[in-house]
Amino acid sequence: MEETSLMNNEYNTTQYIVINIGDEQYGIDIKYVDNIVRMQKITRVPNCQEYFKGVINLRGEVVPVMSFRMKVNLPEVENTNKTRIIIIKLEQNAPVGIIVDAVREVVTLSDNSIDAATRSSTNNDPTYINGIGKTGDTLISLLDLNVVISEKETV
Amino acid sequence: MDVNQYLEIFLDETNEHLQSLSDQLMILENEPENADTINEIFRAAHSLKGMAGTMGYKRMQALTHDMENVFSEIRNGKMKVTSNLVDVLFQTLDALEEYKNTIQETQDEGTNDNAALIQALQKCLDEGTGAAPAAAASTPEAPKAAEDKAGDGENGEKKWKNITLQEHEVNAIKEAEEKGINIYGCTVFIQESCILKAARAFLVFKAVEELGEIIISEPSTQDIEDEKFDFDFSLYIVSEEAYDKVEAAIMSVSEIDRVIGEKVEPAEILSKAASDEAKPAEAEQPAKAETPAETAPAAAGTAPAAPAAQQSGGNAPAKKGANKPVVNRTVRVDIEKLDVLMNLVSELIIAKNSLVSYSSGGQAGNNSNFNEQIEYLESVTTNLHESVMKVRMVPIESITTKFPRMIRDLSKKLNKKMELYMSGEDTELDRTVVDEIGDPLMHMLRNSADHGLESTEERIARGKNPTGSIYLDAYQDGNNVVIEVKDDGNGIDVEAVKKKAIDRGTITAEQGENMSSKEIIDLLFLPSFSTAKVVSDVSGRGVGLDVVKSKIESLGGDVSVKTKLGEGSTFSIRLPLTLAIIQALMVIVGGETYAISLGSIDTIEDISEEDVKFVEAKEVINLRGNVIPIVRLHEVLGLEVPEEQSDRMIVVIVKKGDQFAGLVVDELIGQQEIVIKSLGKYINCTSRMISGATILGDGEVALIIDANCLI
Repeated sequence: MEETSLMNNEYNTTQYIVINIGDEQYGIDIKYVDNIVRMQKITRVPNCQEYFKGVINLRGEVVPVMSFRMKVNLPEVENTNKTRIIIIKLEQNAPVGIIVDAVREVVTLSDNSIDAATRSSTNNDPTYINGIGKTGDTLISLLDLNVVISEKETV
Repeated sequence: MDVNQYLEIFLDETNEHLQSLSDQLMILENEPENADTINEIFRAAHSLKGMAGTMGYKRMQALTHDMENVFSEIRNGKMKVTSNLVDVLFQTLDALEEYKNTIQETQDEGTNDNAALIQALQKCLDEGTGAAPAAAASTPEAPKAAEDKAGDGENGEKKWKNITLQEHEVNAIKEAEEKGINIYGCTVFIQESCILKAARAFLVFKAVEELGEIIISEPSTQDIEDEKFDFDFSLYIVSEEAYDKVEAAIMSVSEIDRVIGEKVEPAEILSKAASDEAKPAEAEQPAKAETPAETAPAAAGTAPAAPAAQQSGGNAPAKKGANKPVVNRTVRVDIEKLDVLMNLVSELIIAKNSLVSYSSGGQAGNNSNFNEQIEYLESVTTNLHESVMKVRMVPIESITTKFPRMIRDLSKKLNKKMELYMSGEDTELDRTVVDEIGDPLMHMLRNSADHGLESTEERIARGKNPTGSIYLDAYQDGNNVVIEVKDDGNGIDVEAVKKKAIDRGTITAEQGENMSSKEIIDLLFLPSFSTAKVVSDVSGRGVGLDVVKSKIESLGGDVSVKTKLGEGSTFSIRLPLTLAIIQALMVIVGGETYAISLGSIDTIEDISEEDVKFVEAKEVINLRGNVIPIVRLHEVLGLEVPEEQSDRMIVVIVKKGDQFAGLVVDELIGQQEIVIKSLGKYINCTSRMISGATILGDGEVALIIDANCLI
């Protein structure tokens, strides 16, 4: 039903928050972003998944925080004053924080400027990308948050 | 009679329902259209009827039944509330009150049939429903209503002609007409033997929606979903397919008796739907949107019910679960407990006021006074917390009272002699926990009765008392409550479980060889694992222990089993006494702050490094004659062990039941009241030793160590 009502616009547009991880740019659908907070003291949780850095206190709520770099097997870097924690809330689920190098901007992408993600058949790693957005001459990898924040994963 | 023990509850609840009924009736008299009130009344009447029925008070049940009928008609909008009706209803309540009083005195409902009242109710019902169209005559829908009434006779079973169309439905029909799509009216009759009417109706809806679209149904989708209809319902359908095809689709649903319907001319319906110069625009869209939206919940509600019914020959527990009325969850509170609460709150206000006066008084230098106030405040909040928790506590008695009856029934059904012995029914638990453990306990008792105890002949052959015993013991152990279900039956045959597990491919034969008997018994908690050779009514389907386990774990407790072949088995449930706020000892380990629940701490010791001895390559200390294993928290928490170690160490001795362990920490901070927060489901703590987190005064998060997991 939702789609039909939007049909008139010819192309759907979606807003993405653009984040930096190293030189790469990733886009996070703005509707899942609950909040963006500065780096703060993270309480380590022993014996949990490696990419979970621990938990933080977000206004009285205990929120787990994961390192995006560790999740996608990139080397860890020192936190800078640009480092941010993006608090993601997927529908009914509890919030999760994702540590990113920096938050750049918000872009609006229409459907026709998003390409499907290419996947090499030789690579069996899970893909965290569900599309590539183009704005000007920069490319933004659009994150599939359901894959990034999957509960099923084990240590 | 074993209903006696329920009598008190019955009387209590009857009082409550009667009170609520009369309150709500008052409201209803003033606001006849108040849907919430009507629903509330209906629920109360319905529970009352159910309770009277269960207790075997037939006359009372009959009277409430008739009263419920009246409310049902009001709720469905078929009857108007008149002051006459309210009078009769109040008389009915008086009569019910009388029944209740008689029961209270003599445990019998007496012989007064209240036939006159029942007749009066019936009369109200007849008049009310008959008068409804007449009452509606003042509304703009009048001509149509009259016509419907007239058409009723001729058309007999073509009940769809009686459907009242709303504006957007009329618009939908017009739209269909413009597009040249056929419109059908039809009435579907479900076989009277059908048990899951709602499920069948849902399947019909689904079948029809594959071919076209349902504009409206009578009764409404909601009512159909709630099984509030007899054995027929009527639909208006728009479809491009021929009528035969639609009918065939409906008939393909099983347990459908017959379908009566035909193509209807839009003009015919439209002429009925009053003299309307229908507003355009909102036309089809809302109508379209409404049908799927309404049927979607129906899908959720009935879909699981249907297959379940086919399998088990159909009673409808799933269905019942779906319609479970939203009753206010109440706790009966001793007035004394409330008085204590009231006192504490006033003390809290005084404490606040003195703090205010202190800060505005500008006596900043007077630190001792300030600390005094803080201490005062602290003692008030602690007491307040305790009292509130006490208010929430109810004895488990409320759920255990029905068990003896259940065991007696099981004993007959299984043809085994058995006796239930209960102790500690006055053990108190949080109300929410008590509500939840009823089913798991029932499961475990059934298990003991069915699987645990041998048949009477077998028991005689083995020289045991022919009557099997099942024990239900509850007691408090520190900050936990333990509930044990024990039987003196055959115990768990570990070899049989192992064999079964290997047969089923749960484990390999090799794995089986290496497993300890405890590990094998834990297999019983896996989903769909049952050792009973025969599936009986009572148990054996393999949905049991795993459900018990997951339920108990969701309440923060755990389940364990002890068994001895030939002598019986014991299932113990351990539940936390308090939720949300606990007293904890704050400690520092490797620079990180952790909380340990005070309830599991026995003592705190200062131990010299030399006192640590080794037993089986594990570190232990000998503390006043007890050999206690040492857990170095640095290691289990994945921290680096500091290089320079002092020769003294602080050991927190924790206990679980009669087992002890010593946790080595760096530093003690002190005792603190902490609010437990969940870590969420994203983080998997492999060892489960972190049971949650809490937020400290400075805003930092500290983790709570579950000492039980370290023992």
